[in-house]
Amino acid sequence: MRSLSLLLLATLPVVAASQQQPHHKPAAQPQVLAPGYSALEFPAPAPGTYDLPPLGKAANGALLDSTGAAVSLHDLYDGKTIVLSFIYTSCPDVNGCPLASFVLGQVQKRLEKDELTASQVRLVSVSFDPANDSPDIMADYGKHFRRGDIDWRFLTAESETSLSPILDNYDQAVIRDRGPDGKALSTMSHILRVYLIDADKRIRNIYSPSYLHPDILYADIRTVMQGDES
Amino acid sequence: MKNKKFSRLTATWMAASLALLCSAAANADETCMSPYMAKIVGQEDFVYVWTLGVEGLGDEQDKLVTIDVRPDADTYGQVVNALSVGGRNEAHHSGLTDDRRFLWASGLDTSKIFIFDVHSDPGKPKLVRTIDDFVEKSGGVVGPHTNYALPGRMMLTGLSNSADHGGRTALVEYTNAGDYVTTHWMPTDDNLQGAVKSGNFADGYGYDVRVLPRRNVMITSSFTGWNNYMMNLGTLMADAEAMQRFGNTVVVWNLHTRKPQKIFDVPGSPLELRCAWGPHNNYCFTSTALTSKIWLIYEDDAGEWQAKAVADIGDASLIPLPVDISISADDQQLWVNTWNDGKTRLFDISDPHAPVQVMEEKIGAQINMVSQSWDGERVYYTSSLLANWDKVEAAEGEDLQYFKAYNWKDGALEHTFTVDFLAAKLGTPHQMRFGAYSLYGQ
Repeated sequence: MRSLSLLLLATLPVVAASQQQPHHKPAAQPQVLAPGYSALEFPAPAPGTYDLPPLGKAANGALLDSTGAAVSLHDLYDGKTIVLSFIYTSCPDVNGCPLASFVLGQVQKRLEKDELTASQVRLVSVSFDPANDSPDIMADYGKHFRRGDIDWRFLTAESETSLSPILDNYDQAVIRDRGPDGKALSTMSHILRVYLIDADKRIRNIYSPSYLHPDILYADIRTVMQGDES
Repeated sequence: MKNKKFSRLTATWMAASLALLCSAAANADETCMSPYMAKIVGQEDFVYVWTLGVEGLGDEQDKLVTIDVRPDADTYGQVVNALSVGGRNEAHHSGLTDDRRFLWASGLDTSKIFIFDVHSDPGKPKLVRTIDDFVEKSGGVVGPHTNYALPGRMMLTGLSNSADHGGRTALVEYTNAGDYVTTHWMPTDDNLQGAVKSGNFADGYGYDVRVLPRRNVMITSSFTGWNNYMMNLGTLMADAEAMQRFGNTVVVWNLHTRKPQKIFDVPGSPLELRCAWGPHNNYCFTSTALTSKIWLIYEDDAGEWQAKAVADIGDASLIPLPVDISISADDQQLWVNTWNDGKTRLFDISDPHAPVQVMEEKIGAQINMVSQSWDGERVYYTSSLLANWDKVEAAEGEDLQYFKAYNWKDGALEHTFTVDFLAAKLGTPHQMRFGAYSLYGQ
C-alpha cells in the first residue's frame, strides 16, 4: 500500500491542476483531491495578523523513534514549535495520511529556505498502527519524505496498548477496518488530524483535510513563533 | 443491516471526496452537516431528536429522543431511547463533533450545553458533560444556538447577551472536549472590527453559522435576542417596538482569522444557512422569517461576496414564517419549511439566482425542521419552533407536535411513519441529527 500512496503523490500535481474549473457549476461533482495538494485558492493570512488561541495542553506520551529508542513527546516538544501528524504508512486514502505527509513535506521545503524558523521547528509523524509500522518501517517511510537537515521525526509505539492513551489524549479516533468475516484488515478508519503545538506545549491549531494546506500551516507556524517572541 | 453501506471515521474533507480509493468508505449523509465531518452514506440507523420538555407532560424535562429508522429493524419507527437532562432549558439546536463521536445540544434559555456520547452505543446515547458556565466563560454571550463542527473544535453561535438580553451576541469556540477557547463578537456600528458595512445595518445579531473552507469563508445570520425569543408569540407580534428588534444582517467572515469582512443587509431575520456542496459552487442560501424570501449569499465572478433576494416563499402578507431549509447533495433542490401554515415546499435551485417552487405539501399544524439523507431519498420533519411560540391546538386531523418520516420518490413525499410526541409524553421535538453503527466500526 505504501507504494500505491507514493505513486499517487507523484501524480498529484497533474490531477490537481485538472480540478481548476469556473465558479457556479450547476451540480455537485465528486472532488478527488483535498485542497492541500493544490495552490491555495485564496491569499494566505499574513503571519502575526491574527490570533490562534490555545486549545489546551499537548499531552505527553512514550513512543519509539525510527531507531527503536524510547522517546517522550514532551522531550521532543521542549522549546520547539511542533507540527504533529498521526498517520499509518499503509494508509490508502489519498486525502488521509498521504495528504498529511505531503503537506508536511511542503512545509519542509519552506523551512529549507528559512534557516531561522527551521531551527525552531520540529515535524513529528506518529504511526497509529504499531503492529505494522515498526521503527524500521518508519525509518524507511521517512526516507521518502525527509530532506536535508530539517528536523522531522518518524515515530511509532511499542504496542497498541501503549499508544492508546496518546490517541485518547489527542482526541484521535482510530478504528481497525474489518472484512465481512470480521477479520482485521490492514486499513484503518480515522479522522485525519494535524496539530500545531507551541514552545509551551500548547495546541494552537488542529487541521483536517478540508483545511490542511502548506501555506496556511506555514503562516500559522510563524504566527505562533512571533507570539512566542513577543 | 442489509442494503446498508456506511462511512467510517475516515478522513473526509468534503462530502464526495472519498470515492477514489476507499471502496468501503463513503460519500456523505445529511446535507447540512459541516464539511469537516465524517459522513454516513446510505441508510441512517437512528435520528436523534433534541426535544423540549413541556410542563405537565411526562417527566417535563428536555430530552434527547432516539428514533430507530432502520427499515428492517424490529423497532423501526419507534422511540428506542429517551434521555432526560434534568429540567427545561429551551432545547433548540444540536450538532455533532467533526468525528461524530459526540452530540452537542444547547438550551436557549439556560445557556446550558449538553454533550452526549453517541459512539459507544449509537442506539443509546449517554450524557457525558454539561457545560453550565457558558455565559460566564464567553464574556456574556447568552443563548447558544448552532453547534457547528470545525476541525477538533466546536463553533457555537449565540443569540443574545447578558447585558441587556437583546440581540447583540457572538460566536464562541470550544474544544471537542468541552473546554472554552475564545469569543468572537459580531461586528456592530460601534465596532465594525474592520468589516465593510455594505448597507444600512450592522446590528451585531447572530443565529446560524456555516463555512466554505475552500474559499476561506464563514457566514453568519441573525435572529433576535432572549427578550424576544422567550416572549409569548402573540404578545411579541403585538409589540411594535419589540418587532423592530430582529436581525437584518448576514456577515461574511475570514474563516481562518475569524475576522468579519463584509456585512450585508438581509432584512427580516435570516435564519438557517445552507451552503452548496459542489466544489465550485461558491454560494449559500438563507431564508428570511419575517419577509418570507430566499436569499443567495454568493461569490461573484470578480471574487466579491454579494447577497440578494432570489425568490419569494409563499405569500409574505400571510406570514408563512419560513424556518428550516435543507439543500440537496447535488445542489439542485432546496426544501423550505414554513412554520405558520405547516407546509414543506421544494424549490428547484439549479439556477441558484432564480429558484422556482416545484411542489408544496402540508405536513402538520405547524412545521419547523427538515433533515434529508445524503441520497435525498428520505426526508424527516419535526414540528416545534420555540416553547412560547408553538401552537397549542391543531385543526381536526392535523398533527401538532410530531416527528414524521417520508420517502422522497418520483417527485412525491411518501409518508412512512409518525411519532406523536404529545401522545408519547415526550415533549416537543426540534433539531434532528443522524446516527449509524458503522460510523464507529460496529
